[in-house]
Amino acid sequence: MIAMLIRRLLQVPVILLVIYTVTFTLAWLLPGNPLEREGRRPDVAVQDAMKAQYNLDKPLTFYVSYLDQASGLAWLRGDSEKVFNLGPCLQYQDWSTNELIGGALPVSIVLGIVALVFAVTIGLASGIVGAVRPGSWMDVATLLIALLGISLPSFVIGTALLIVFAVWFEFVHVAHWGSPRDLLLPALTLSLPFAAYIARLTRLGMIDVLQSDFIRTARAKGVSETRIVLRHALKVAFLPVLSYLGPAAAYVMTGSFVVEKVFNVPGLGQHFVNSVLNKDLFVIMGIVLTYSTMLVLFNLAVDVMYRWVDPRIEFA
Amino acid sequence: MGMRTILPILLLVGLLIGAVMLDRPQPPADLTFINRGEVHSLDPQRMSWLQDFRIADALYEGLVNYDNDTFEIVPGVAETWTVSPDGLTYTFHLRDNAKWSNGDPVTAQDFAYSWRRALFPDTVAGYADLFFKIKGGRAFFDWRVKQLQDFAGRAAGVDDAARLKLAQQMLEEALQRYEQTVGVDAVDPHTLVVTLDVPTPYMLDLLAFGPFKPVHRPTVEPYLHLDAASGAFRQHYGWTKPPLLVSNGPYVLTVWRYMRDLRMERNPYYWNSAAVQSDSVVCIAVEDANTAVLAYETGTIDWLSDVGVDYRADMLAQKQRYMDRNAARYQELCDQGKSYNEAMEILAHESPPQPGERNDIHAFAAYGTYFYNFNCQPTLNGGEFNPFKDARIRRAFARAVDKQAIVERVTRMNQPVANVLIPPGSIAGFEGAKGIGYDPAKARSELAEAGWEDRDGDGYVEDAAGQRFPTVEILFPSVAEHKSIAQAIAHMWERTLGVKCRLREEETKVQAAHLQEHDFMVSRGNWYGDYGDPTTFLDLDRTGNSNNDRNYSNPVFDELMNQADMELDPVKRMKILEEADAMMVNEEVPILPLFHQVTLYMYDPAKLRNISTHPRLTQYLWELKVVK
Repeated sequence: MIAMLIRRLLQVPVILLVIYTVTFTLAWLLPGNPLEREGRRPDVAVQDAMKAQYNLDKPLTFYVSYLDQASGLAWLRGDSEKVFNLGPCLQYQDWSTNELIGGALPVSIVLGIVALVFAVTIGLASGIVGAVRPGSWMDVATLLIALLGISLPSFVIGTALLIVFAVWFEFVHVAHWGSPRDLLLPALTLSLPFAAYIARLTRLGMIDVLQSDFIRTARAKGVSETRIVLRHALKVAFLPVLSYLGPAAAYVMTGSFVVEKVFNVPGLGQHFVNSVLNKDLFVIMGIVLTYSTMLVLFNLAVDVMYRWVDPRIEFA
Repeated sequence: MGMRTILPILLLVGLLIGAVMLDRPQPPADLTFINRGEVHSLDPQRMSWLQDFRIADALYEGLVNYDNDTFEIVPGVAETWTVSPDGLTYTFHLRDNAKWSNGDPVTAQDFAYSWRRALFPDTVAGYADLFFKIKGGRAFFDWRVKQLQDFAGRAAGVDDAARLKLAQQMLEEALQRYEQTVGVDAVDPHTLVVTLDVPTPYMLDLLAFGPFKPVHRPTVEPYLHLDAASGAFRQHYGWTKPPLLVSNGPYVLTVWRYMRDLRMERNPYYWNSAAVQSDSVVCIAVEDANTAVLAYETGTIDWLSDVGVDYRADMLAQKQRYMDRNAARYQELCDQGKSYNEAMEILAHESPPQPGERNDIHAFAAYGTYFYNFNCQPTLNGGEFNPFKDARIRRAFARAVDKQAIVERVTRMNQPVANVLIPPGSIAGFEGAKGIGYDPAKARSELAEAGWEDRDGDGYVEDAAGQRFPTVEILFPSVAEHKSIAQAIAHMWERTLGVKCRLREEETKVQAAHLQEHDFMVSRGNWYGDYGDPTTFLDLDRTGNSNNDRNYSNPVFDELMNQADMELDPVKRMKILEEADAMMVNEEVPILPLFHQVTLYMYDPAKLRNISTHPRLTQYLWELKVVK
């Protein structure tokens, strides 16, 4: 187990280097000038000075020096005050990419965790209900809700929730962030597609497990139906859900651009999309590196948890 | 399961509580509004966006200010000033009681230092060229650029310590040269003498503008360092964050969180604090246009300074219904000398909007124009034939556009139709030309004069050799509004002139880069004036101007503009500029104006006071007041 962990951790820098190189190449090839913007354009001499300041005229220099700063190598040598210096923000000049991610990532993580809790709660509950009585009206109802959750885009659900809860009932504020109440609607919107998927996974797994031999044995022994479902069947049926939770966790914590926009949540998803639109190289690279580190670590964490829940699983 | 289940749950809950505790919302402010977008920089010398300038006006005070209603120049940090008879030397006398937010006095040296920052290419000030009006400014800027280019050669093959030493020497040389050659002189703490290269009648107007506002030197200096790679000095912008930022205007910055909010509180040291209407101002960043409108509707904000939703035309129609119902009373109030805001406030109390009406959206004329560019180069970038090098063809295409139809049926905003670039009546003493309007018959005859007629009756025009008119490619950024307008114009040109059109839609950044490279045939353009003088628009057509996307070049026009630069008599100068303007909009038409921009605000006229209706879009936040 420990050896596996060490081996997997050693792979992380290699994976990240590949991601960095591919992203850098793509971002550099994006047409358009990051310093260009709509409206007034500075004098040519000023534009050249801007380009030179950020090495935007020298791709190789940019590639090497950014890697040096972002990976912590420069810090190890003592050339940089910050451990991971992800560079300045070209569009919003007063900010560094570190400040930007530092402000937005906690917001995205909190929103993601709450959404994940919602997704698991709603998903498991409706999955179990569906599996216990397949074909009943409750099963059809949860199926319908799951279908809506997967197929309706979140800007529709989000806007509808806003109109009902903010405009009609005045229960939450619009474009307000900081109190726990502000979390509810965006987290719910964000969780629905995941809840729907988890519900389907749980239902399928449960139906399967409920027909297996050990459940029949348990029933024969006279174990109560609630106990069978919650303790015996769920434990097995939860495994596919768990493996889905790894990528889902990374996704809800990083990629909720639409939800962030509709509810004006100051999270990382907006910054990522904006940075690509602005061709803001430093921010693109910084966020991609942060995202991929998170994704790799989440997957590792799920693998470890998998083994914890089901000791039968061996690591190759 | 036991611990295995409980532990992760406990961890999650702990994490959540911790995160929520860290992230407390701010107490409500006297005035809350949504700016036109997130602020890019609070360093006045590096700013170039309207939303940045709006905050800068609240944080910093320049030598002079605008009057919010008349846009005349009124004293700021400078109490009085004199201008020499040749219009080249300005002497400013600074007031004794002007202070920074830490209690330091605001001195002439502060201004000299701040302007010097702008003229050092190291600072990469977006508006550096405005400082080129100052004597020796342009020459110094170019000299320092050259000096920094030479650094690479002089510092080749030496280690970083030696490079830094060389950079330091060069910087000292540059500072010395600046002192000797550039016409900004802080004679004593309260006297600033500015000498110009050419008389610039709108100089005071410029001085009220963001980039000329001062920074607090002791706050900025620690963030400078020399860069061994380039030899230039670089700045880290940490000093623009609270609580470090020291300002000399009505407010101090207390909170600034990227893409979230920005909060300012009254500056107790501001000399004119009595005139500041609200103790605290919060600006929240909202990216989504619809969310911004909902934020206004639910009372989160008092003022929405840009309404970008698709249904704004419908909101304007609701406003029109309200105005129609109250037309007689509104007219009566106007006849009594009430301003728009005063009249709307009285109406709001006397006659609240009924269902299907609204009185909280307001359209004001803006100091800008939406237009199309014709590429004016002899050939297109790829060497292809460029029909638009011919002014007759440009005029023909301009006459074939029914702009009224565009504002009524495409944008549905009823913006004022534009046949000229400079919004009429926006500059005192300037009587602009009429321009050319919609005239399909004349459009066809002018195209025929240029040699393009439908000779074989197939509905498309050909030249004498039977060659068809090249397909007209229209470049525009990928935004719904621009696309609809491009489609409408393409249709008008095809129908009226018998030419084929093709749409070329590109991502905003990509399109902007292609504009700069003159890589287009016809393209969508837009311009807002920076200061109250026709040159802020007319400069666009000068040969080599960095915003001359059309690459238009006309020695006669350039000569007129040079003459205007040197003319001392303001009346004569305006006459020359009127002549230059007429040449552009009546004859040459490198730019095809479509409509003048309109600014849409949302605010309750019974609650928010002192919104300026002046076309220049400047809103002094400290003059706004919410009546609770």
